Amino acid sequence: MTDVGPALRHRDDAEGRETLATIERTWQSPKGFFGWFTHVNHTNIGRRFVATALIFFAIAGVLGLLMRWQLSAPLNEVLDPDTYNQVMTVHGTAMMFLFAIPAMEGIAIYLVPLMIGARDMAFPRLNAFGYYVYLIGGVIFLLSLPLGIAPAAGWFNYVPLSNKEFSPGLGVDIWTTMITFIEVAALTAAVELIVTIFKLRAPGMSLNRMPIFVWAVLVMSFMILFAMPSVIVASAMLMMDRLVDTQFFVAEAGGSPLLWQHLFWFFGHPEVYIIFVPALGIVTSVVVTFAQRPVFGYTALVLALVSVGMVSFGLWVHHMYTTGLPFMGRSFFMAASAMISIPSGVQIFCWIMTLWGARIRFEVPMLWVLSFFAVFITGGLTGVMVASVPFDRQVHDTYFVVAHFHYVLVGGAVFPLMAGLYYWYPKAVGRMLSDRMGKWSVGLSFVGFNLAFFPMHQLGLEGMPRRIYTYLPEMDWGFLNQLATVGAIILAVGFGLTFWNLIYSAYRGTVADENPWNAPTLEWATTSPPLNCNFAQQPVVQDDRPLWSWPERGKRTVVGGLRTDRRETMVTTLLDARPQSVQVLPGPTPWPFVSAVAASVGFLGLIFSPWFYLIGFFGAFVTFVFWFWPRKPYRED
Amino acid sequence: MTKDIPVEVAVDASDITRFAPHTHPLWWGILAAVAIEAAVVANLLTSYFYLWARTDAWPPEGVEPPPLLWPTLILVVLPLSSVTMWWAGKGSDAGRMRQLALGVSASVLLACVAIGFRSIQIAQFDILWSDHAYGSILWAITGFHYTHVVSAIVGTAAVAILAWMGYFTPERQLGVVVDTLYWYFVAGVYLPIYLVLYWAPRLL
Ligand code: HEM
Repeated sequence: MTDVGPALRHRDDAEGRETLATIERTWQSPKGFFGWFTHVNHTNIGRRFVATALIFFAIAGVLGLLMRWQLSAPLNEVLDPDTYNQVMTVHGTAMMFLFAIPAMEGIAIYLVPLMIGARDMAFPRLNAFGYYVYLIGGVIFLLSLPLGIAPAAGWFNYVPLSNKEFSPGLGVDIWTTMITFIEVAALTAAVELIVTIFKLRAPGMSLNRMPIFVWAVLVMSFMILFAMPSVIVASAMLMMDRLVDTQFFVAEAGGSPLLWQHLFWFFGHPEVYIIFVPALGIVTSVVVTFAQRPVFGYTALVLALVSVGMVSFGLWVHHMYTTGLPFMGRSFFMAASAMISIPSGVQIFCWIMTLWGARIRFEVPMLWVLSFFAVFITGGLTGVMVASVPFDRQVHDTYFVVAHFHYVLVGGAVFPLMAGLYYWYPKAVGRMLSDRMGKWSVGLSFVGFNLAFFPMHQLGLEGMPRRIYTYLPEMDWGFLNQLATVGAIILAVGFGLTFWNLIYSAYRGTVADENPWNAPTLEWATTSPPLNCNFAQQPVVQDDRPLWSWPERGKRTVVGGLRTDRRETMVTTLLDARPQSVQVLPGPTPWPFVSAVAASVGFLGLIFSPWFYLIGFFGAFVTFVFWFWPRKPYRED
Repeated sequence: MTKDIPVEVAVDASDITRFAPHTHPLWWGILAAVAIEAAVVANLLTSYFYLWARTDAWPPEGVEPPPLLWPTLILVVLPLSSVTMWWAGKGSDAGRMRQLALGVSASVLLACVAIGFRSIQIAQFDILWSDHAYGSILWAITGFHYTHVVSAIVGTAAVAILAWMGYFTPERQLGVVVDTLYWYFVAGVYLPIYLVLYWAPRLL
């Protein structure tokens, strides 16, 4: 135990302040418009991810409202059939690929380094690259809608509907290229998060002391790693079928349309859990803090998360019960689908036990979590129903399914996300979100959501198919649809209030201190908003709740001896986080942006000519060389 | 408040190494990238068998499986280039920077030979990607691997240039270590591709 380096922030003398100022200058992101394109700090990138995802969420939400407007009365003429299909496809695709996954990744990118006591992520430039890829891909994808050339074959683009014959025009090409492109961003984020969690944890944070949220992010990242490749392969095949006449999905030439469905759902089902698993992490963080006691059944929870991740890869066929699969196959996947309720049940019991008999503080994040419980459990129940083959064959492609997946997606991902926003906003912005607006927002969203989506169960049972742009008055579906539309408007007001709250409170919110909720994890051990370098001195931990145990021990342990004149963070061993080496991280640079632009030109060009494959490849390669080429003076120590 | 608790420095980082090319996070990052690529290959090969299982004749009537000569030669050349790569790394670990430069350059050359063979072999395919799903998947897998060999070549060429410029030292050689890892993958993944594309239609 040598004492090196001043105990920064706690030695409020000139020398301490001087050192801190040097570190902060080292970690500073350049200002100004051009500076913006050079930022690499994970806090900047994470914030951008979340903000961009929320904007895409709002846009996709407006599209949802448009559809509800069209469906509010029989034979309505707000949207014509083709526009409806485009709006529906863009809504579904944007919600899944442009909002839900990136929002979770963004929160993870923002929080994980803070939670594990690191100063940044392992590959800051890759992080920035991923963000620009996501931004460019998302904007191009959404622009296709006002241009009237958006894809219209639904978010899962089944062939043969989506092949050249039945979907002429650029729509599906934009879908395949831009979605593949955005998956690249998901993959870079996954790699980044895995390596950061494995190697950059603060000394002492062995795997079994990691916050549950970090575990959840780890599971999510591994799922992305193994699920995304199959959608990339699938959409590359579809792209080639449409652009250079390959025959992968063309039955007459030996291809198989079902191959598309297998590849898509091998990704598509885990995708739902990719969204849901980090949401579970958010819920656990909130439950622990507002119950003010350590989580019940840490090991059980971790095992449950890991098994949700694994089992979710064995479920894809339950989206294909009506495709004439062999009976044995269907039965197997039915059993697997039922199995996933076991780990989910374990989690729910762990949360109940954590909350049981605790003095729960019903602050806004906790209210979102309670709405999550209610809505998600309902969605889980209908999930058990549609997972059974005979029932699914009845309601397949009806509004019952639309109701079911909005219950699990909105309940399972958006509500927890909202809880996370209210919970971590003070950390990221330094001010609290307005409590009153928050409570109204929860209430309206909860009521609006149920009003909008509960009647759809009944509509589905009455036989209303999904993906129709209108229906006849004789069907008697008018009233329930009207109810659903009113609910959707209330829901939108509820979410809108939170959006306003996010903007308003950035200027007017009460100032938050370091740890306003008295939470136990490390992200609360630095200023709000965090320092450029995250921690003046990296922490060293002894258990899984350092902020609660440091006061008991009467001392706080830190790392000393990191240099102040360049970006350094500790590298520790994989299992028990013993110090191993120090990583020197790169500073601001524009190259990730240039690479992302080169890659986008390649991807977008593919729609027009296969030669862009080569152009994109070499363009990106040249920029990568500039990115990685060592700069003089070479580092000697 | 955390900030009021007295601080104790429990880990002193001043003497811990700043170079650890063999345990550097980037090494793990490349490993993860390799896992992604391996998943892509698994998807492609599974699709190959899936399409096969759904058709009567594989390859379709009148089409022969690709000839074995050139692919088998590649199966010799690519592992050989991994050996030179390994030898280069040995040199670099021991501070013999000439050996490093020679080794990586040899690998680049060998891989160029492999690409040459590959191109001859592609020219010999007697089916186009647009004729039949068999042709599509054959071309797709071949093209996928081709692209990877090319990217390994250009990446390693950059390493070779740096090596001749004398940039690397036994500490400062992260680029060599991660490039080698990727190289092993590109060479190794050829084996399953080789077995599936050239032997499976003959044997199964
Ligand atoms: C803001 C509230 C929302 C409203 C009012 C809404 C409304 C709708 C409507 C009316 C449809 C069309 C159903 C059809 O014609 O078959 C739909 C489809 C869909 N929604 Fe939402 N939705 C909302 C939020 C979400 C969220 C948060 C997600 C995901 C995270 C989501 C994902 C989807 C998907 C995947 C589809 C299927 C699209 C397709 O059939 O290809 N929605 N939604």
